[in-house]
Amino acid sequence: MRIVQQMIESVRRAGAAIVANKLRGGLTTLGIVIGVVAVDTTMTAVNGLANNFARSVAVLGSDVLYVSRMPWVFQGTFFTFRNRPPLTVDEAEELERRVESAVAVNPTAHTFKDIKFRSTVLENMDIVGTTDRHMLVSSAVPELGRFLTAPEVRYRKFVCVIGSDIRDRLFEDIDPINKTIKIGRFSYRVIGVMEKQGGAGMIGGPNFDAMIYIPIHTMIKAYGGERRDFDIAVRARSQQALEDLRYQVIGEMRKIRRLSPAEEDNFTINQMDTLVGMFNNVMGVVLLIGMLITGIALFVGGVGVMNIMFVSVTERTREIGIRKALGAQRSTILVQYLCESAAICLFGGLLGLLIALGVTELIDRLLLPASISPPIVAIAIVVSIGVGVVAGLIPAVRAARLNPIEALRYE
Amino acid sequence: MALELQEVTKTYGSGAAEVPALRGVSLQIRSNEYVAIMGPSGSGKSTMMNIIGCLDVPTTGRYVLDGEDVSDLSESRLARIRNEKIGFVFQTFNLLPRADIFHNVELPLIYAGMRPGKRRSLAREALERVGLGDRLRARPNQLSGGERQRVAIARALVSQPSILLADEPTGNLDTVTGGEIMSLLDRLFEQGHTVVLVTHEAEIARHAHRIVRLRDGLIESDERQSEPKRGLA
Repeated sequence: MRIVQQMIESVRRAGAAIVANKLRGGLTTLGIVIGVVAVDTTMTAVNGLANNFARSVAVLGSDVLYVSRMPWVFQGTFFTFRNRPPLTVDEAEELERRVESAVAVNPTAHTFKDIKFRSTVLENMDIVGTTDRHMLVSSAVPELGRFLTAPEVRYRKFVCVIGSDIRDRLFEDIDPINKTIKIGRFSYRVIGVMEKQGGAGMIGGPNFDAMIYIPIHTMIKAYGGERRDFDIAVRARSQQALEDLRYQVIGEMRKIRRLSPAEEDNFTINQMDTLVGMFNNVMGVVLLIGMLITGIALFVGGVGVMNIMFVSVTERTREIGIRKALGAQRSTILVQYLCESAAICLFGGLLGLLIALGVTELIDRLLLPASISPPIVAIAIVVSIGVGVVAGLIPAVRAARLNPIEALRYE
Repeated sequence: MALELQEVTKTYGSGAAEVPALRGVSLQIRSNEYVAIMGPSGSGKSTMMNIIGCLDVPTTGRYVLDGEDVSDLSESRLARIRNEKIGFVFQTFNLLPRADIFHNVELPLIYAGMRPGKRRSLAREALERVGLGDRLRARPNQLSGGERQRVAIARALVSQPSILLADEPTGNLDTVTGGEIMSLLDRLFEQGHTVVLVTHEAEIARHAHRIVRLRDGLIESDERQSEPKRGLA
């Protein structure tokens, strides 16, 4: 009871002390405001990127395996991978026959070409050779028109489906369906536009919205397929079935390639897990750097608060003497000053939160989807109170230890 | 017995820089006594006041307050004793400048951990007793010196202490308001309080029933007054 009473008294006095020194308190608070803005913005940005990435992963599918020549994330030397034979469309078709438990098997290849519509040219765009089964392994659907069909793939039709970015940049307001664009030296009819997926392009991942899909056999016919590297996407019935499927695919691929038991795999099974792991590492570093900068900002802010608390203790030496004469315990004085310091910082933290809300709104509109989540608010509040307590500790201890007789005599 | 000092000494500093402030003082003050402690500066009067007020402890000797030996208590215990048993009235009033007078009076009860309802009614009552019941929300700087000292007295009374310890209570006041404060103290004594007055002014000390004179850290004289002064100057 006694402690609660004294806490309430302390918080009330802290409020009064801040109000009494508005300008000083405000300036002191500035450091904390900046620190908290930094904390919130960093965390919001990281969250936004992570959400963005998660969405991309969802587009690719977490229940999909990719059989490729190279692993997505390197461990070991490049040369062991480089000398592997490339995967072929024939191998993909063979695999599809053998792995019956898979929902779909879809080979893809990438090539980079300039594309042109009337006088607009986009250089070095990502052209994806794929099949109608793309629809089965990816969650993306066309927003306009339709995707490639099996006959178009088989009969090497010159048709293409474009990503939403391509539509925006090449056609602007024109309806792209049935328009003819040039990809390299060949003309294609646009039959569909994919819906916007919001790719991981920002962080160096693939930007699905800037891709153009053409039938895989058309790609081989037009641009050659001899040494082209294909990836084979294999979709499991469910996420739980993915591991079984993985071993089955490895086994069948070894049979297709006639590898003896002693030989190592000369292909790689890539999964979203690997990408997720890599992404988490990168984000970990980003977060670390962000936190370091934030930490410095908060430290500087904390030093400012500590300084002002020292001034405050010195100014009110006599008041502390009076309180002690009236029976205030050391702990009472300690709590009083800690509360005051925490209150200054909390005030700064709330102000910083407000500014961070604005900054986040700006990021959301201009860069990537972002929002301040309740945990970030909680962290901002806890961090600012924490800085206040730490910064106020030494001045508060000094205040608590004052000798009442000397403090009463202080002018 | 309200308080008893037994062969109390107080020495400041140590070694060659040792300065004796009290050199063996024994004094008994009964409940509901009105005692003035007098002495020129350097006589040890402030030191004695600090010890009686439990702001300091004796170097040697015993100090018994309300039957409890308080000569060797921890700072924390001393703070509690001050809160419960001592009511201070200072020369410079020593009110908290930023708080209203109601809060100033309420403060000792907050430190005692009293419930808000009870402490508010006690604080209001104490301010009414000194005639400031209608100005609860005034701040010290809106009051005259005499009024401020009345607030300080209300604050000293509010926790019903064993002794009221007034250190030069009229030192910062003109004669008329000083007289008013003294008559307030007289009245409190008549209502049963134990009042210890520390002063160097003979005129003020005349209000007490007993005058203890200090000189060079020793009691020089301890006399009863047959006809103490009453009321306004």
